[in-house]
Amino acid sequence: METSFIDWPGKLCAILFVGGCNFRCPFCHNHPLVLAPEGMETIAFEEIMTRLAARKNWLAGICISGGEPTLSPGLPKMIARLKAEGWAIKLDTNGSRPEVLAQLLADNLLDMVAMDVKTVLVQEKYERCTGSPVDLGAIRRSIDLLGNSGIPHEFRMTIAPGLHTEEDVVAWGRQFDRSRSRLTLQNFNPKTTLNALFEKEQGFAPEIFSRLSALVA
Amino acid sequence: MGVVMPLNAETAQARTQRVVNEDSTDIALFVRSSQDDMTGWNRQRIVDALLRETFIDRDTAEKISRDIEVTIQAGKVKTITGPLIREMVNAKLLEMGLEEARRMHTRLGVPLYDVDQLLVQHNKENANVPHGPEATNLTLAEGIKKEYALLHVFSPDVADAHLSGDLHLHDLGFIDRPYCSGQSLEYIKKFGLNLPHALSMAKPAKHAEVLLAHMVKFAASLQSHFAGAIGWDAINLFYAPYLEELSDDGVKQLAQMMIYEFSQQAVARGGQAIFSDVNIYWEVPKHFVDVPAIGPGGVYTGKTYGEYEKQAQRFAWALFEVYKEGDAAGRPFFFPKPLVHITEKFFKTDGHMDFLHHICEVASVKGNTYFVFDRGDTAKISECCRLSFKLEASDIEDAKQPWKMRYSALQNVTINLPRLAFKAQGDDTKLFALLTEKLQLAAKAHGQKKKFIERLMSLGKGGPLSLLAMDLDGEPYLKLHKCSYLIGMVGLNELIRVHLGQELHDSDESIKFGLKVIAHMNIVCNKLAESLDMKFVLEQTPAESTAFRFAKLDLAHFTADAEKVVQGNREKGEVYYSNSTLFNVGATMSPIARVEKEGLFHPLIEAGSITHIWLGEAQPDKEALASFVINVFKYTQNDQIAFSPEFTACLACGKTSRGLSETCPYCESKDVDGITRITGYFTKISSWNKGKLGELHDRYRNVDRFNN
Amino acid sequence: MTLFTTDDCVLCAQLKKQFDLSAMEVQVEVLGNNDAGALAHLAWHGLVEKARKALPILVLDDSSALDEFGHIESHLLDRATRYGLATRHSGKQAGCESGSCALQ
Repeated sequence: METSFIDWPGKLCAILFVGGCNFRCPFCHNHPLVLAPEGMETIAFEEIMTRLAARKNWLAGICISGGEPTLSPGLPKMIARLKAEGWAIKLDTNGSRPEVLAQLLADNLLDMVAMDVKTVLVQEKYERCTGSPVDLGAIRRSIDLLGNSGIPHEFRMTIAPGLHTEEDVVAWGRQFDRSRSRLTLQNFNPKTTLNALFEKEQGFAPEIFSRLSALVA
Repeated sequence: MGVVMPLNAETAQARTQRVVNEDSTDIALFVRSSQDDMTGWNRQRIVDALLRETFIDRDTAEKISRDIEVTIQAGKVKTITGPLIREMVNAKLLEMGLEEARRMHTRLGVPLYDVDQLLVQHNKENANVPHGPEATNLTLAEGIKKEYALLHVFSPDVADAHLSGDLHLHDLGFIDRPYCSGQSLEYIKKFGLNLPHALSMAKPAKHAEVLLAHMVKFAASLQSHFAGAIGWDAINLFYAPYLEELSDDGVKQLAQMMIYEFSQQAVARGGQAIFSDVNIYWEVPKHFVDVPAIGPGGVYTGKTYGEYEKQAQRFAWALFEVYKEGDAAGRPFFFPKPLVHITEKFFKTDGHMDFLHHICEVASVKGNTYFVFDRGDTAKISECCRLSFKLEASDIEDAKQPWKMRYSALQNVTINLPRLAFKAQGDDTKLFALLTEKLQLAAKAHGQKKKFIERLMSLGKGGPLSLLAMDLDGEPYLKLHKCSYLIGMVGLNELIRVHLGQELHDSDESIKFGLKVIAHMNIVCNKLAESLDMKFVLEQTPAESTAFRFAKLDLAHFTADAEKVVQGNREKGEVYYSNSTLFNVGATMSPIARVEKEGLFHPLIEAGSITHIWLGEAQPDKEALASFVINVFKYTQNDQIAFSPEFTACLACGKTSRGLSETCPYCESKDVDGITRITGYFTKISSWNKGKLGELHDRYRNVDRFNN
Repeated sequence: MTLFTTDDCVLCAQLKKQFDLSAMEVQVEVLGNNDAGALAHLAWHGLVEKARKALPILVLDDSSALDEFGHIESHLLDRATRYGLATRHSGKQAGCESGSCALQ
C-alpha cells in the first residue's frame, strides 16, 4: 500500500496493489507483482482498512492498481467494503475483462477509471506490447463501456521508441471520443522493466515526447 | 630576513603606547616591506617582538634572543626568513616551558604546499562557493581566522572539543561576525542608503526599482558582516506602497529583477551569492494591519498596511510566476528562498486557494517553495532553511515601527549525538549526563564568542563592525542584547540506533526516547539561558559539512562503534550522519508519516525545523500538494516543509531535465550536473562534499509513490 | 489516561486535591521540573504548543486531549465514579490569576 501525489490528478490517494496479471508487457515496472506475486508482502484486508482509516483526513481516495485487479475474484467485494467506508475509488485496468468492469460500473462502485490501451487496436501490434495473446474484442468492449459510463476516466498509453511510431500515436488518439474521454501518454522509463532487455532501451527524448503528447491532448 | 618591528629601540612605555595607537594596517604594511627587504641580522628585533606580543620580561627576552643568535651563527645558512626565526623562538619558549608566551607568539598561516593545492583544487566544504580567486582568498583568510578563533577566542577545552569532534563551532572562519540575521525593508525605506564607508549616500527611494537597488546593496553589505543568511520579513507587504504606480507587467518585471539580482550576485564571502531569504504572506499579518505605511520618498503614505493587501498579493503572485519559469535554461533559482507563511488568517483571506495552488505548482515543477506553519497566533521571521525567530510580545510592540524588527543569532554550536551514545554504552543516566556536559560546554563557547563580538562592537562606528554599530534609529543595527545563541544537533537517528538498537522510524519506542533526548536538551538550554542570561535556543542544524565531519571523525576515533551506524558509502568516503532529528532519509515512510512523526520533534526545537519531501523525478499534481499542505497545517505539529524535486542540468547543450541521470536526455552528453536541495538550498551536485553525495544516494524518493 | 500539570499551577493543585488520581489510573506528569520524560510525553501527544498556552491538559485513553478545566473536571468525576471512588468536593473553581497555569 502506498501514497501517491500523481496517480489521481488533483487528489492525494493511497494505492492498493493487487498481484497477478494476464499480460506480460516488456516495459512493465511492477513486474514483481506480475510475475511473482507470492514473493511480495501481503497485507491482510483488515489491516489495510485500519491503516486507511487512520489517514482518512489526508487521502481523497484509493487507487486500485497492480498487476491486473480485474482478474481477482474478490475485487468487487473489496471495493464494496471500501466504498461502504466512504472512500472514493479509482481503478487501473488493462481492460481485458469487460464483464468485471461492466458489473463494477453498474453497481456504482467506481469514481474514476484509468485504462491502459497499449497501442492501436491491431492484433499483431497489440500483442507485441502485451507480450501475450490478446482478445481485442474485449478491449474494444471495455473502451466503449468507459466512454459511455458517465464517470471520469482516461485512456493511457506508455510509448517506447521500439514499439510506437508517430503514426501509431495519431491513430491511437483517433480511436477515442475526446469529448468524453481524457487521453494521456507516458514516456517509457528504462529503470527496472519486466523484460531485462528493455532496460537497455531509452524513452523518447523530452522534446519528441512533448510533441507527441500534444498530438493527443 | 624580515622580522616584525621598527629598527630603533624605544622605551617600553613608548612602545606600548605606539602599539595601542597603531592601526593594524601599518603593521601589515611594515611586515610586507620588511620581507621584500633584505636587512641585516638584528637580534634586537626578537626582543622587541617578544616584549610587544607576550608578557615576558626584558631579561628573559634578551636571553632568548642571544641563544637564537648563537644557534644561527653555528648553522651555515647565509639568509634566513622572519617566519623561521619566529619558529625558532617558539621552539625555545616550548623548551623553557613558557607555554602561554608561546601561544601568544605563535604564527598563524598555511604551508606552502597547501596553498599551492588550494589555488588549484576546489574547496568543497561549502557548496555555494564557486572556485575562483575570491574563493581562495576566502579559504585562506578563513583558515587564519579559524586558527585565531581556536587559539584566542575560545578556551582550550572548547577548542579541543571542536577539533576532536565532540562539538562543532560553526563558521569559525567568520569568528568576527554574527551568524545570521532577519530584518525589515522598512529600515532602508525610511533611512535611505546611508552606510558606513560608502562612497555616497542615497535618500529614501521614491520608486520600486530604486528601492530594489537599495535592497540589493544593503543586502550585500549585510552579507559581508554575517556568516549566514540575510532574511527579510514580509517582503511583499513592505514593497506594496511602491507598487501602486506599476502595471501588472511592471510588477512582474520588478519580481524578475529581484530574483535575478539575488540569484546572480556572486560577490561576498568568496564569490558566493548572497544567502537571502524572503518571507511572504498572502494576508496582511495581524501585527502590521494598523501600522502606518511608509512609501515613496520614505514618508508615511497616510494609509496603514492593512490597506495594501491587494498590492502585496500582486507582488507575491508575480514572484512565484518568476520562480515557476526558472532561469534562461529552465533551472530553478537558487536564491532568494521564498518562505510562505501559512497561518489561520491565510485561510480566511480571499484568493488563498488560488495562491496555494500557484505556490504548490512552483513546488512541483521547480521546488523553491518553503511552507512555514505559524499556528495559533505565533509569528515568525525565517532565515536559512529552518531558523526562525518567534516574535515575542516586545517584538510585536516593535512592529509598530517595523524598522526596529531586527534579529540575529550570534553563533551556532552543534553537538555530536551519536558519539554520546558510543560513550554511554546503553546507560541512560550516563547518556543524559554526557549530554548535559556538552550543552554546558556549548554554552561556554557561546559566552566566549559573545565576549569577542562585544569587544569588536565596543569599538563602535570606527571599529571593524561599523555597519552593525550604525544607529540611525537610536539603537545599533545589531541588537546584541536580543541576540540568540543556537545549539544544534547531528545524528539523533544514529544515537537511537546505538542506544536502543533500532532507528527512529522502526518503532514508537525509538521516537519516544528520541523525544526525551531533545526534551532534555530543551530543558537544559532553558536552565542555562536563565543562569547565564543568554538566549539559548535549539535549532535543527543545516549541518552541511558537519554531519560529514562528525561521521569521519567518529570512524577514525570510535571505529568499532561508528562502523555499525555511519551512513553512506565507506569505500568512497561518502559518509554522513542523519541530519539533526530527521529520520533516516532512506526509510520507507509515506510522506504523511514522515511529516507527522518528524513534526513531533518540532515544537521542542524552538529556533525552527523542517521536513523534506524528496520528489525525485515525479511532478506531482498541484492540488494534491495543496491538500497535503493544508493537512500538515491542520493535523500535525510540523513547523515547515519543502518539496524537493531533482534536476539534471546539461553542461553541453544547456538544457534542464527532471530527475537525476548520468546522461543528458536531450543531447546524450555525459557532461551533466545534478541539481537538488542539499540541506536547505538548491545547488549543483558537483559542488557537494562527499558526505552529502552519500546521502543523496540513499534518499527514498517519491518516484511515483511511497510505501506505507 | 494522563494529566499534564505543573507544580505552581493553582488549577492543577485543585484537581490533585480533589481526586485520588493514582487510584483512578490517571498518570500525573509534572512539567517544568527539569523532567525530560514528562516533556517528551507531552511532545509525543503533540501538545507542547497547547501546554504553552494553558494547563492542565487531560489526555484520554483514545489519545484525544481536553484543555478546558470544566471538561477535565467532569471527565475525572465520571472516571472516579466508575472506579467507585469518593471525591472531595471542589467548591468554586479556583481562578488562575497568577498566570502560572501554563508551560513556561
